[in-house]
Amino acid sequence: MIALAWRQHRKQVLYTILGFAVLAALMVPIGISMRHTFSDLGLPECVRQLARSDVPQATAESCEGGFRQFGNRYGNLNLVAVLLLVLPMLLGLFWGAPLIAREVEQGTHRFAWTQGISRRRWALVKFGLAVAVTATAAVCYGLGMSWWVSPLTEAAREGRFGFIVFDLQGVAPIGYTLFAVALGIFAGTLGRRMLPAMTITLAGFIGVRAAVAVLARPHYQPARTAQYPVVGDDPLPRDRGDWILANGVRNADGTMVAPDAQIRCPPGVQKPGGGACGSELGVRPGAYNWELYQPADRFWLFQGIETGIFVALAALLLYLTLRQLRRIA
Amino acid sequence: MEIALEAERLGKRYGRRWALQECSFQLPAGRIAGLVGPNGAGKSTLLHLAVGLLGPDAGTVRVFGRTPYDNPAVLPDVGFVAQDTPLYRDFTAAELVTITGRMNRRWDGALARERLAQLGIPPNLPVGRLSGGQRAQVALALALAKRPRLLLLDEPVASLDPLARREFLQSLMGSVAESGTTVLLSSHLLGDLERVCDHLVLLNASRVRLVGAVDELVAGHRQLVGPRHGGEAITGVGTVLRASHTGRQSTLLARVDGVVDPEWTVHDVTLEEVILAYLDEGETRTSHTEWEVPA
Repeated sequence: MIALAWRQHRKQVLYTILGFAVLAALMVPIGISMRHTFSDLGLPECVRQLARSDVPQATAESCEGGFRQFGNRYGNLNLVAVLLLVLPMLLGLFWGAPLIAREVEQGTHRFAWTQGISRRRWALVKFGLAVAVTATAAVCYGLGMSWWVSPLTEAAREGRFGFIVFDLQGVAPIGYTLFAVALGIFAGTLGRRMLPAMTITLAGFIGVRAAVAVLARPHYQPARTAQYPVVGDDPLPRDRGDWILANGVRNADGTMVAPDAQIRCPPGVQKPGGGACGSELGVRPGAYNWELYQPADRFWLFQGIETGIFVALAALLLYLTLRQLRRIA
Repeated sequence: MEIALEAERLGKRYGRRWALQECSFQLPAGRIAGLVGPNGAGKSTLLHLAVGLLGPDAGTVRVFGRTPYDNPAVLPDVGFVAQDTPLYRDFTAAELVTITGRMNRRWDGALARERLAQLGIPPNLPVGRLSGGQRAQVALALALAKRPRLLLLDEPVASLDPLARREFLQSLMGSVAESGTTVLLSSHLLGDLERVCDHLVLLNASRVRLVGAVDELVAGHRQLVGPRHGGEAITGVGTVLRASHTGRQSTLLARVDGVVDPEWTVHDVTLEEVILAYLDEGETRTSHTEWEVPA
């Protein structure tokens, strides 16, 4: 059976490797030159400095300039990163969806299932091959992207929790890929033709990914809150890669007066027309800036949880596929 | 007498429609049986049930005493060539022989290679580029290399030209005669069946209408010509399958069960005539109700 699966999919394996090689040939030189520029501008040092709370004003400003320079030069590569986000889905469309749908469409399942082996064994070997190839691809992709995208994220000062960068690197792409492939395989047993299977995969993948990212991810761990007084001397602390879920200005009794806003006034400053800082918004004395956030150091924990969810979904889909296969003739 | 294939009140449903219903018959080992019926009569469904691709919704089917569905232990005993002889089209015939061999414990690769060599089939060309007849021969060679005790063929010659058809059936007969394999072969082509089959299973509108050894079936039916007939019983005649009338005389095709009333002239019938008489029967009833018009 392994011989059959390999003979049947070896071209696909070859094309996958070729595709990744071409991608690597494009991305690696860009990544290297990006990193050179990053260190030539002295930005790694800036990242270290700015991570501390007491940053001298001069350093902060010169670093800001460096980041801006880097951003001007490489900022449009963020688009490339966004485009690469679809890679797990492509693996699902071209590895997952045809795996069973093509056999049923061409009737070859009737040939394979009437030889001497059970269809369960047939399916497990095919799953094994598809999962092995795509998971390997996903590992390369996830780790490669972590390396590639880090100067961009650091220069943008966003942390790794941003909606695109989180999904692009680390171990999460492995979960997404396995899910996409399993969804494609399962869709093949529902649609039983390549095109419907691919359509189901596309819609299902986008739907589940969006739902998990928007609805579930912010709640993997209880979010923390932070408070900074409205009146104070030093500038508001810049976020250090935390994932800000919500913020705003609250009065001393906790009522939100200015959602999605932050205010900082030096002590004793009055508005031109008189009245305390922020009084036109209803800010009273004792008001504070409020922030709901997931701290940056939870990145790997969140990556692990996200990957776990998608791997579990993938396993469930493969189990359902095995059950569904019994009903195909 | 060993029974190769046995169905007992076998039924299969797709949604609310029964594709096969109350299907009961026995196929003794060693027979070469034709499975006949119009399109949609349930022929493929019956073959898929017999090879275990489908599970029954009612009744049972047994291959050498064992139920085939979800039972890989039956697979080595059954060779199956599905409709349109599906094969991995980008594999070469030689690759198919090797790889199919890896999927079967009992495997006679030499037999397959010999057959394909004899038929002049190129070993290193993708089978998708072979002609329909050659591809069917590859599929048959692969099924025979399993050395099955029961060989099921779903319309293997439907897409072949007359010459390829004859060659295919000849090579099939040649090899099963040696090995004593039981064959169940579905086809529309009554002439072909008459040439090769010694047993018949006739399906119509999802039910078995006729089953038995060909010589007995032919011997049991007669064409009768006699005086104008109004439907009354005739000595020695069982069921009348078909009747046509002119002004003074009637021609009947009937199942006979003894010496026929000498008023009637008795003629022998061919298998084809018997089959056509049974295929005619009941074919239009369902569609009349479905169209909501009187029959």
